[in-house]
Amino acid sequence: MNLFKVLDISASALLAERQRAEVVSSNLANAESTSTPGGGPYKRMHVVFGAHPMQMHGFAMTLASFTDINAEGVRVDRVVQDGAPPVRRFEPGSPDADAEGYVSYPAINPVEELVNLMGAARAYQLNASAVQSTKNMIQASIDIIKS
Amino acid sequence: MSWLDSPQDNLLARYLDLAAMRQALITSNIANVDTPGYRTRDIDFHGELVRAIEHEDADSTEPVVREVQGLIARPDGNNVSIDRESMLLSEVQLQFSAAEQLLKSDFKTLSMAINEGSSGS
Repeated sequence: MNLFKVLDISASALLAERQRAEVVSSNLANAESTSTPGGGPYKRMHVVFGAHPMQMHGFAMTLASFTDINAEGVRVDRVVQDGAPPVRRFEPGSPDADAEGYVSYPAINPVEELVNLMGAARAYQLNASAVQSTKNMIQASIDIIKS
Repeated sequence: MSWLDSPQDNLLARYLDLAAMRQALITSNIANVDTPGYRTRDIDFHGELVRAIEHEDADSTEPVVREVQGLIARPDGNNVSIDRESMLLSEVQLQFSAAEQLLKSDFKTLSMAINEGSSGS
């Protein structure tokens, strides 16, 4: 088992969690956006994570031993739009109001988004500790040579 | 048996190997803490070690990766327990450094035997 590949697994999770935080931040920022380039209010986005065997290439592939186990990293499989209908508020003065005077706002619950953001931050921290632990193990292996 | 190729060093090497494999699986479990449908995976560390002791040529056999039973799954089908994984993360790290220290002290003894001979005369 190649310990450097273990770092890649953690790195894939750090990347995925950061992308999740980006999407959540975008939801929070656009909680009141009533118009988008595509027309209509902003739609809430979700990330969908998927487990994937780590791809190895070049040097790492040559180094990989035959007893390698199949440990999986994570990546953002897709970003989906929430299908929830927009929230309609009566604001006849707004330029985005429809014929009846209602403005469609995105169906975004800031509390839900913040909880999601905290989840992403915690998962990021956990993976960062995993990186630290793997680094210590690599350092210990190097110390065998130094003794 | 050669003095450079002692059975206990081979066993320690296998121990380090298994610890590294386990680290990979734990890291993978942690990475997939939010992946819907992901199941926690692990190897039977002690079972694999016993197998390595019984068959000294077990270097080339692949450890059995299995799904961990008895964990509580969330509604999305994911059953990664952060507490279990963080605990195992520190455990494996300690196991690794213990085996590493033993291996180091073995090499130190060897190097002492090599060097003290020359300085004595």
